[in-house]
Amino acid sequence: MMDLTNRQWLKYAVMHPFEGFEDMRWKKAGSIRYSIVIVLLWFVAAVFYNRLYGFQFYASPDKLFNVIPYIVRTIVLFLTWVVGNWAVCTLLEGEGTMRNIFIYSAYALVPYVASLFIGVLLSHVLIRDEAVFIDTVYILGLGWSAVLVFSAIRAVHQYSFLKTIGAIILTIAAMLIMLFLLVLLLSLLQQVYVFVYSIYTELAYRVKV
Amino acid sequence: MKRNLNKLAAAALAAVLSAAACPFLAASAEEHYDVYNYDRWNEAIPSQAGYLADRSVSGEALGVGDFSSPSDIFRDADDCFYLTDTGNNRLVLMDSALTQATVLEEFTLPDGSITTLRKPEGVYVSPETQLIYIADTGNSRVIVCDGEGNVTLTITKPESELFDSELTFLPKRVLADKAGNVYVVLGNITTGAAMFGKDGEFKGFYGANTVEQTSEVIANYFWKLLATDAMRARTARTVPTGITSFDLDDEGFIYTCTQSTSQKTDTVKKLNPAGKNLFTSLETTWGDYESLYDVNTSQSYQSMLCDIEIGDDGSINCLDLTAGRIFQYDKEGNLLFIFGSTSDQLGGFSQVAAIESIGSTIYVVDAQKNYITVFEETDFGNIVHEATDLYNAGYYAEALEPWYKVLQYDGNYRRAFIGISAALLVEGDYEGSMKYARLAESSYRYNRAFEGWRTEFISANIDQFTFAAVVLAAAGVGLHFWLKKRKRSKGKEGETS
Repeated sequence: MMDLTNRQWLKYAVMHPFEGFEDMRWKKAGSIRYSIVIVLLWFVAAVFYNRLYGFQFYASPDKLFNVIPYIVRTIVLFLTWVVGNWAVCTLLEGEGTMRNIFIYSAYALVPYVASLFIGVLLSHVLIRDEAVFIDTVYILGLGWSAVLVFSAIRAVHQYSFLKTIGAIILTIAAMLIMLFLLVLLLSLLQQVYVFVYSIYTELAYRVKV
Repeated sequence: MKRNLNKLAAAALAAVLSAAACPFLAASAEEHYDVYNYDRWNEAIPSQAGYLADRSVSGEALGVGDFSSPSDIFRDADDCFYLTDTGNNRLVLMDSALTQATVLEEFTLPDGSITTLRKPEGVYVSPETQLIYIADTGNSRVIVCDGEGNVTLTITKPESELFDSELTFLPKRVLADKAGNVYVVLGNITTGAAMFGKDGEFKGFYGANTVEQTSEVIANYFWKLLATDAMRARTARTVPTGITSFDLDDEGFIYTCTQSTSQKTDTVKKLNPAGKNLFTSLETTWGDYESLYDVNTSQSYQSMLCDIEIGDDGSINCLDLTAGRIFQYDKEGNLLFIFGSTSDQLGGFSQVAAIESIGSTIYVVDAQKNYITVFEETDFGNIVHEATDLYNAGYYAEALEPWYKVLQYDGNYRRAFIGISAALLVEGDYEGSMKYARLAESSYRYNRAFEGWRTEFISANIDQFTFAAVVLAAAGVGLHFWLKKRKRSKGKEGETS
């Protein structure tokens, strides 16, 4: 029973929002390589959404494009989610390993990423009056992914319905704390750099004089 | 290798062309400041000058002695100028060429006595009755007189519940509409212009600014909900900035401008007779987009519009006190030109006070240099005006040629791309329209053109589309059956094995 290839497992998990991840867990399926590809595709989709969107909908300022925010909004966000969820759920008696959380969460993103790509494609064919089609695809993708993420977290940790909701809220809080600490760390590092640099300038000046 | 040679040749050609193009750029090189305009992303980019300073006229040259901090200028229906020479307590009348001048200093009151002005700051002449309205600021009154100085009406501080009796009556600017109602901008009132009837009776206020909803205002509102009455009485009231100046257009709409460093809304308004602002839906930022930062004083300066004037063709000229610049907009609120500066040369100002125009000539009064600077339209300005007028009147196709000419002068002029895109759309050249919409970075225009292009494309290729659809459907059905068959045979194999 259920001897599926990696690709079939992906399809199965996405198409069966309620038992898909449970079955995956049961069969210990899921590929980390596929997951990485999905997250990278998400990043690509986010960039496409800005750069390759149909001009009739959105004129993007060419001069101001910067790729860093897109990395933060997709890849970094995803990694924080995985780490945050792992940290929270380890304390809450969750059964998921970091690897599984990564895989299941990435699989759950597939409808959303697909909706981004479909939206970019549609935006070149439709006009503004027909924007509702793109919006529909987007909302469907987003909603579907939301259900999948919920189901993935529930399956990977073997939680009840309410506990999953609690875990997700706590995860978001943990993500905020992590991002705050990251910003703090960066600014501290910058200060250390400035300090070291000023010492260097001072010494260099002394040596010269 | 060959490609490299081509590139080299192209570069050489470009260099020759740009050298040849230099004479065309000379128009802006005549100005001592950088002429600029704003692009789609509100960034300042170099542009061509729409107006050049032609000459300046002082009171001495007119034979009436130097002006002393003049504050307002008005052109009447016969193209004569009226200047309030504030420091000299007089009104100077000039002809349209600014060659002759007469002085009006003494006024005869209805009872026969003679009166003089004290620091007058505003003047208006009614095109219907030829009466002169003078805001006699120092004497706290507005006087209405004929060309000889015979006063027919004096308006002083109204005794009304609406008017705070503790305040001085400080008329700064004055206007009268076709019905004879007099509007007076008061220096210390934030509730709009005071409005008086034909016979000088106070009617109320007109065209007050609204308070900008900044975060501070909202926070104050929240704290006031919690405060006690005593605390509330001590807090500062949130009041809008009072209007600074106004002008009347041919259709009877009043345009106001507000000189403020903090307020960003309501800086320019177009008011209908009911006092409602018709420019609320415009996204125009009046004046400069970003404030100037002065490294010497570590202060930033924001545009402060101190006077507004509506030209004969409906264009809106705004005078910026901070940078000594004139911002000219068309009647739809699209920026046309920016010119002027703060400097000592001709075309530069110390403290601009008022602006007026006749046709394509613009007159700016400087209160510190004490003279009038005359700006003449350049060839570029002329073509832009021609194209804009045609475009705003709806003659898109007729505006096409002028817009192309505009691009020859200034290839960054965004409105030209928009105009060409609109014209080509009307002509049915959807691809051209799409191209120019892209150059204008206007996704709205592109959308319109793309819609037409798509309809045309589909109807031209309807046969191919139908064929493709039929083939796809057939292939899909075939695949479905083939897969089913394969599955069934596989299943049978599974059963047998």
